[in-house]
Amino acid sequence: MKLLKLFVFSSICLSGLFLSTSTAWAHGERSLEPFVRMRTVQWYDVNWSASTVAVNDELTITGKVHVAEDWPNSLPKPEAAYLGVIAPGPVFLRKERWINGEAHLNSLPLKVGRDYEFKMKLKARIPGRYHIHPSFNIIDTGNVAGPGQWVEITGNANAFTNNVETVKGEMINLETYGTANGVRWHMLWMILGIAWLVWWVRRPLFIPRYAMVNKGEEDKLVTPKDKNLAKAILVAVPVIVLSGYFVTNSQYPETIPLQASLDLIPPLPEQADLVNAKIKRATYNIPQRSMMMMVEIKNDSQKTLQIGEFTTGSVRFINSNMNIDASHTPPEYLATNGMQIEPNDLIHPGEAKVVKIMASDAVWEIEHLSSVIGDADSRFGGLLFLFDDQGNRYLSSISASLIPEYK
Amino acid sequence: MSTISVSTGFDKETATVSRIYDYLILVLAGFLYIGSYHLHFMLTVGDWDFWLDWKDRQYWPLVTPVLMIAWPAAVQSVLWTHFRLPMGATLSVVGLMLGMWITRVTAYQIWTNYPLNFVLPATMIPSALVLDAILMLSPSFLVTAIAGGASFALLFYPTNWPIFAMFHVPIEWQGGLQTIADQFGFEYLRAGMPEYLRIIERGTLRTYGQMAAPLSAFFAALLCILVYAAGWYIGKAFATVRYLKRV
Repeated sequence: MKLLKLFVFSSICLSGLFLSTSTAWAHGERSLEPFVRMRTVQWYDVNWSASTVAVNDELTITGKVHVAEDWPNSLPKPEAAYLGVIAPGPVFLRKERWINGEAHLNSLPLKVGRDYEFKMKLKARIPGRYHIHPSFNIIDTGNVAGPGQWVEITGNANAFTNNVETVKGEMINLETYGTANGVRWHMLWMILGIAWLVWWVRRPLFIPRYAMVNKGEEDKLVTPKDKNLAKAILVAVPVIVLSGYFVTNSQYPETIPLQASLDLIPPLPEQADLVNAKIKRATYNIPQRSMMMMVEIKNDSQKTLQIGEFTTGSVRFINSNMNIDASHTPPEYLATNGMQIEPNDLIHPGEAKVVKIMASDAVWEIEHLSSVIGDADSRFGGLLFLFDDQGNRYLSSISASLIPEYK
Repeated sequence: MSTISVSTGFDKETATVSRIYDYLILVLAGFLYIGSYHLHFMLTVGDWDFWLDWKDRQYWPLVTPVLMIAWPAAVQSVLWTHFRLPMGATLSVVGLMLGMWITRVTAYQIWTNYPLNFVLPATMIPSALVLDAILMLSPSFLVTAIAGGASFALLFYPTNWPIFAMFHVPIEWQGGLQTIADQFGFEYLRAGMPEYLRIIERGTLRTYGQMAAPLSAFFAALLCILVYAAGWYIGKAFATVRYLKRV
């Protein structure tokens, strides 16, 4: 009785536990080590064309990445990379992908220190609300996620179509193409396989056969009928296989092997090195969730500049004294009031100035970037954006060792 | 009463109990084979069988039969040596196919929304039928290893071509050439499966007058002979009752 009560009580507790759980929507985007997210591909200007789309409608993701100069020593150089989308499965389909205006069908090598501009056109397939990230899979490094945005797909999944045209002009629907043919062949072989099993299973199996084998009467266990059937199999199966092969070849005479090439897409043209930013010292205060950088900035341009933004690991720290458009960035990646600059002055042409930049926000913890101080390679990296009075942007990639402050 | 029961001298009641035991073992062994062979298959062949855009003419016909034949060989060894049942290979592969279809439909199509055609499995039932037939007719381990092992590999590609040829029809996309299978890989999102991970079309086999598939198949045939022998002896080693002596 006690056991029964214990069982019922445990069952109720377990049921409550299961009922109280919520669906997990994350994709592990904060799990990749911070030094990878900060010092491999650095995302900026990422934009989603809509936050709600109907089934069959298009969502375009655009943006840029800078491939960090201070690429971690523990990672091989990005000889193959693949611009992807992190989503809960094929809820969207990727219909087009462009890098620097060129088609990006396969993987491509990235050049360290250079920038790439991307565009992906996705087609909505399964209704629901999904967190959609652009990402760069990099060989032997992992999947480096960019910022993510919630996108809602409305409508009816059954209305989805996905037609493509072959080079011979035949229009096919990828959702169903070849399914019935595949199922038919599988069923044919499954029926023949099961028939062979039934042929043997219909007779007594284990104990009597084992006894007869032990008595030396194994020859009685395989009858002439069995042998004839086996001979028929040895003839019929290869005949069916080869007939299927040759008939298929005549049905599809023009086939090609799977394509496996590397796209060679040059990076964006290199910008003149007009702003040089060098970190003299950087610390991260753990209780205050605050990074401090002493940065020496030399303005080699002809314009007067001002620091506008520091971005790292998709998080944007913005100088609130400046009018910088952050409307396309999901709020969880924005630290609008988290950036303090001392002195928050203009940097004149030819001037070199040491500036103290504070980047403070809970987002360091939320995005698991603060754990960079626990990495074996406890350096951080990011992009510093400076602007002239006409709104032109000057990008400087920065990186340095990060000293932790524990109180 | 069957000739087998008569030969063993079983009375009617013993024969009935023996038959119930047969079905009990069959059901248990069926689940065991489906589960364990499927696990073995997923961990070894894995992506080559999961996805359309991994089924190339070089690695797919090499990797799949070579990694698949050990299990049927081991089961054949047990069922043939102790029971004279020439159905070990077919039993294993039919079990595997059942397991694969269950997962392709539930885990891939229903659960994660991939269309079934993108995750169609390859079939090896014809290879298994021939392997069983050769064992029964020879009836020799050596002949089965050489003739059966080689047939097992050589039949694989032509068996599956009728299912997958239509996915090798070319299309033009964004100015580039793709097969329909490549297009599936491009369009249907897989966050953990970048294109560069595909182990396809590498090496120099295709320089032999583009005859990569037959060369791969013959190399697979050679390896299958060796792996079959290993699988047979693994089955033999595990088909023992010595651990039950003290029960």
